[in-house]
Amino acid sequence: MIFIAAAKTKRKSFFIQTILSNFVKLVLHYYYGITMNSQNQKLALRSGNQMTAEGAIKAGCKFFAGYPITPASGIYKGLIDLLPLNNGIAISSPDEISALAYCVGASMRGVKAMTATSGPGWALMIETVQYALITETPVVISVVQRLGPCTGGATQGAQGDILITEFATSGGYTIPVLYPSTAKECYELTIEAFNWAEKYRTPVVLLSDKEIGMTTESVDYNKLKISAPEHRHLISENDADFSEWKMYGFDSPGMIAKFAPVGSKVKVTATGSAHNTKGSLKKNDPETLAVLKHLEDKIRAHKDEMSLVKEDHEEGADTLIISFGITARTMKDSVANLRKQGCKVSSLTIYCMFPVPEKAILKAAIGCKNIFIAEENFSGQYRMIIAPLLKNYNVYGINKLGTMITPNEITERIMKL
Amino acid sequence: MNTTDQCSYMTHGAVMPFCKGCGHSNILKKLNDALGLLQLDPHDVCLVTDIGCIGLADALFDKVHTVHTTHGRSTGFATGIAVADKVLASGKLKTIVLIGDGGSMIGLLHIVNAALMNVDVTVIVANNFLFGMTGGQTSSLTPEHFNTITSPFGSMNPSLDICQIADASKAGFIARKTATDKDLTETISEAITFNGFAIVEVLELCTEHGTKRNEIKGNMLAKMAEDEGHEIGVIKNSHARPEFSKKYETDVHSHKGDIKPHKYISPQFNHDLRSPNEIIISGSAGERVQSTAAMFTEAALMCGLHVTQKNDNPVTQGSGFSLSEVIISPQEINFTGVSSADYVVVVSENGLKEIQGQDIFNRINEKTIFIIDETLTIEKKGLNLVVLPLRRLCGSDKAAVGAFDYVIRKFEPFPHEPFKQLLAKRFGEYGKIFKEEFYNLF
Ligand code: SF4
Ligand SMILES: [Mg+2]
Repeated sequence: MIFIAAAKTKRKSFFIQTILSNFVKLVLHYYYGITMNSQNQKLALRSGNQMTAEGAIKAGCKFFAGYPITPASGIYKGLIDLLPLNNGIAISSPDEISALAYCVGASMRGVKAMTATSGPGWALMIETVQYALITETPVVISVVQRLGPCTGGATQGAQGDILITEFATSGGYTIPVLYPSTAKECYELTIEAFNWAEKYRTPVVLLSDKEIGMTTESVDYNKLKISAPEHRHLISENDADFSEWKMYGFDSPGMIAKFAPVGSKVKVTATGSAHNTKGSLKKNDPETLAVLKHLEDKIRAHKDEMSLVKEDHEEGADTLIISFGITARTMKDSVANLRKQGCKVSSLTIYCMFPVPEKAILKAAIGCKNIFIAEENFSGQYRMIIAPLLKNYNVYGINKLGTMITPNEITERIMKL
Repeated sequence: MNTTDQCSYMTHGAVMPFCKGCGHSNILKKLNDALGLLQLDPHDVCLVTDIGCIGLADALFDKVHTVHTTHGRSTGFATGIAVADKVLASGKLKTIVLIGDGGSMIGLLHIVNAALMNVDVTVIVANNFLFGMTGGQTSSLTPEHFNTITSPFGSMNPSLDICQIADASKAGFIARKTATDKDLTETISEAITFNGFAIVEVLELCTEHGTKRNEIKGNMLAKMAEDEGHEIGVIKNSHARPEFSKKYETDVHSHKGDIKPHKYISPQFNHDLRSPNEIIISGSAGERVQSTAAMFTEAALMCGLHVTQKNDNPVTQGSGFSLSEVIISPQEINFTGVSSADYVVVVSENGLKEIQGQDIFNRINEKTIFIIDETLTIEKKGLNLVVLPLRRLCGSDKAAVGAFDYVIRKFEPFPHEPFKQLLAKRFGEYGKIFKEEFYNLF
């Protein structure tokens, strides 16, 4: 009975498991419904927003500035609690423009920084995102989508900010956009977002949506796939390469220069205006134009290593469904239903929306005739982006506004063909 | 005293890019002198410049860190730099913003909040009453009757007193000077030394657009300000408020031990669930609908089940309906919505209205069990209805608790024990949470 009492209070259960005989375990199970077989699970009920906040901590985020907005406020609250415990700081800002400006400033001082918002806040941040991009300052912005346009529906989900997050720069530069579909993936891809921001010295958008951000679900922490946090590569005056170093310099398209924080012994010249490799404002100057081009080249050069997708291939399938975020989960259920009914279908979940994982998409399409792209917006935003890649296929959209696409809606649309 | 030549933070022999007689040249020379006076290590100085003619200053200071920002946002970036430096880095950096009158208005909120936070940032507002770089348009700091190309008959509005705004924002150091003041260097150096937010508005003239349209000279600026009712000189120099990082240390950082990290669950109960159970519970705000759904999912988690919980309520969270969609499943859950409910639980009038509005009858099947409070009536025929005195026996605030308790005991999706434990932890002894009659309902 001593063992039972200990098990009931949940203390030392690992210890108990090692010493209890199978017989005792059986008795426990039979009389008390207590199972001793789950020692390798470390579960918690977490929302995507909470997991994003925890992932940020794991990634080494030290600074967060937030402005409340449904459905992203959970990240703000999460980091207000977590950052002081992890040698960081989270502050409240008076608007979204300030929130991102604070983050970019903090990152310029050398710390990993993040903010979180939704469509309306993103609209206000766009100028500052471009500033981070042109000054090559790492920063992560989580955009938890809700129904638009404008204020739209604060408590309704949507996948309508795909184009506005990506095409937020004058000049059309690629902003890396990651899009998890579960709370677990929110954790994992937040780390990835920070790593990309550091590796490529760029703003990175972590896209999610109301359903992923605010729905709580069971997460097994022992199953998290954790990438090693990427540290910022800092230049020091003692480095061997210091004499050739320039803050925005490069000798190949994929090269990313080491970073100098303001306040360090290496003078920083940063500007939101077009500048040369040293950061000096120069008009009609070939070097300046080369720097502007390199901003895009450095992302394109690393495109293949940024290609994150999950393919569920079925031999002989003539139909491929492509989705992401919350709708990727719907797609999985639909694929299971379709296969039960004897339909041969493959599916592809996109985690890296931008740069577009072109090769992975084309590979998944091989052997198929019909490609469906399911997304919770009425115009088929991602379909517009990838359709030109898929000229040799019949491309269809499965779209909806206001509520989640259901597994039946995908299944029925595909059966109708 | 160090002169510009002895300790210059500017490029040696730099040519000022400004028009002849422009006040900006003077302000920047005085800033350079002030830095020299303080003998600051150039690596401990960050100049954050805004857009406009004054923003060209970054190219002139080649020894210190320079960050040339977007229009009006300079104080915002400076705040991030200063907070990160003081709380997370060396804490030695002096962050100085150079902004014009136009920029100070578009970025007023950043100035106000930096002052409220009392971050160690010095904002120098070069106020020449108009947008110089874009051709001399009127700004919010243009005095009434001042002539600009966009106020050819004189500006209609009085000018904003940004020092008063700073005062209302509890800034510790506030000064309004003119570009030709003999002691401008000293005032700027005082502002930089000030440990906390400082603002120095410097009145000056745009010789390209200002003096050509107005009968005005540099020695008339102080009088002009006074005519607008704006005070001149060092208006405030008070260390009454601690600088941001000090305040953060006492007000937040010292409390970090009070923040409880969340607990993990290692499942210790068994379950016999073979397929997912989908539950919709709908009731009123403030009656523990969503928090009880969370307890239910936690109990399911204690049995090693997969769970999802999706909540819905009006934007004003404390009013109207409150609804949760819960799925528990032995397998991983993909679609998180309830599309074919096993249970629909309705515990209040608000809850009933909401599920009828959400077209619930399209999300049920022939086996769906409806559990409703005895005070409610559902018109629809052919439902598997269980009518319970939930509100009467459990109280309106625990009707949802009773409903979940009933579902677990009656239909046994998983053992009752973990839910009982959670209830006891939250409400005290399980046997005393509800009226006795409730426990005999089964
Ligand atoms: S336009 Fe006016 S503010 Fe600009 S440099 Fe010339 S005088 Fe100075
Ligand atoms: Mg001006």
